[in-house]
Amino acid sequence: MIIERLLLLLLFLIGLYGIIGKKHIIRKIFGLNIINTAVVLLFILEGSRIGEAAPIADASHRAMVDPIPQALMLTAIVIGVCITALSLALAVHLYRVTGSFDIDEIRIRIHHES
Amino acid sequence: MTTRRWLNGAGTWLAIIALAVILAPIFLSATPWPTVARDYLQQQGTADSGAINLVSAIYLGYRVFDTFGETIVLLVAILGTMGLLSQLEHLVEPAQNDQKALETTSRFALAQEKRRSHTLRTHLLEVVTGKVGPIVLLFGFYVMLYGHISPGGGFQGGVIVASGIVFLSLGNPQEGSFGISRPQVLIRLEILAFFTLIVIFSSGLITGSGFFGNPLADTPFPVAHIVLLNAVIGLKVGMSIGFMCIAMMGERT
Repeated sequence: MIIERLLLLLLFLIGLYGIIGKKHIIRKIFGLNIINTAVVLLFILEGSRIGEAAPIADASHRAMVDPIPQALMLTAIVIGVCITALSLALAVHLYRVTGSFDIDEIRIRIHHES
Repeated sequence: MTTRRWLNGAGTWLAIIALAVILAPIFLSATPWPTVARDYLQQQGTADSGAINLVSAIYLGYRVFDTFGETIVLLVAILGTMGLLSQLEHLVEPAQNDQKALETTSRFALAQEKRRSHTLRTHLLEVVTGKVGPIVLLFGFYVMLYGHISPGGGFQGGVIVASGIVFLSLGNPQEGSFGISRPQVLIRLEILAFFTLIVIFSSGLITGSGFFGNPLADTPFPVAHIVLLNAVIGLKVGMSIGFMCIAMMGERT
């Protein structure tokens, strides 16, 4: 169990590095997605600690995983898709206005124009 | 300049290490997960909502308010994306300007006029997506309608339906010959689905179970409410995401 958690922490930090360490906007959006995935996986992993059967109440009375984190993560995934779409649209818009995806370049060009 | 870059890199790593120290107790916590909610749901979930799949019993029964908010967030995100994209003159560069891409794909590429918006659209892609599209659509509707008894549900089925729509729109020989991959049809269907969703949510008012209540709770088939909601939400999600993908592929809306 500790290995999975360490890997998920690593995944989260990779996403964070993508957001704060990279200059390219599309890579930042990738980082955002990676963080989203890490959090979703962490919740699913937590919920699966108390059982092994799928959360479908059939006749067998095996201990099943907690369905609540799964229902919550369903919401989180859809919101993640929304955020990705909106941020990609913003990135395309910035590219059309300034002609670059690099944030330093964008800052320089905006200063030039103003 | 190099010193500044070095400082920036050091700052990045410092921030990452600091956040790792803060997050490590959260990610590595060994607190036992509570089993109260799981046990209650395993015993009462099916009786309360009628659905065997407890995840759909939660997001369409106990937490339906959350789902309603989620569909509104999806709608707002689509509106924002379309609002930003519609200000652009040409979303996709005309293929004629891109000599390199043309050379790589010229062996498989379609006739010039069809390649206007899709440089990489080839015969191979067209045949495969055109044949797979209807099957993907069918599978999406299966996942959508059987969400109460098997893994699946409205959101998942909707995303599969959206993939089917994208496949059909990639694979049809004449642009827009399938009605379902035409943006105007998609947006109308989405409006219809959202309106139906609100009507279903308020239908509990008539039988006295309140807004978001299940009007069929006392009948022998309380699960019909969840099946209906799954179908409508799947339609709405499928149309929204399909519409967004088709718009991003550069079709005129």
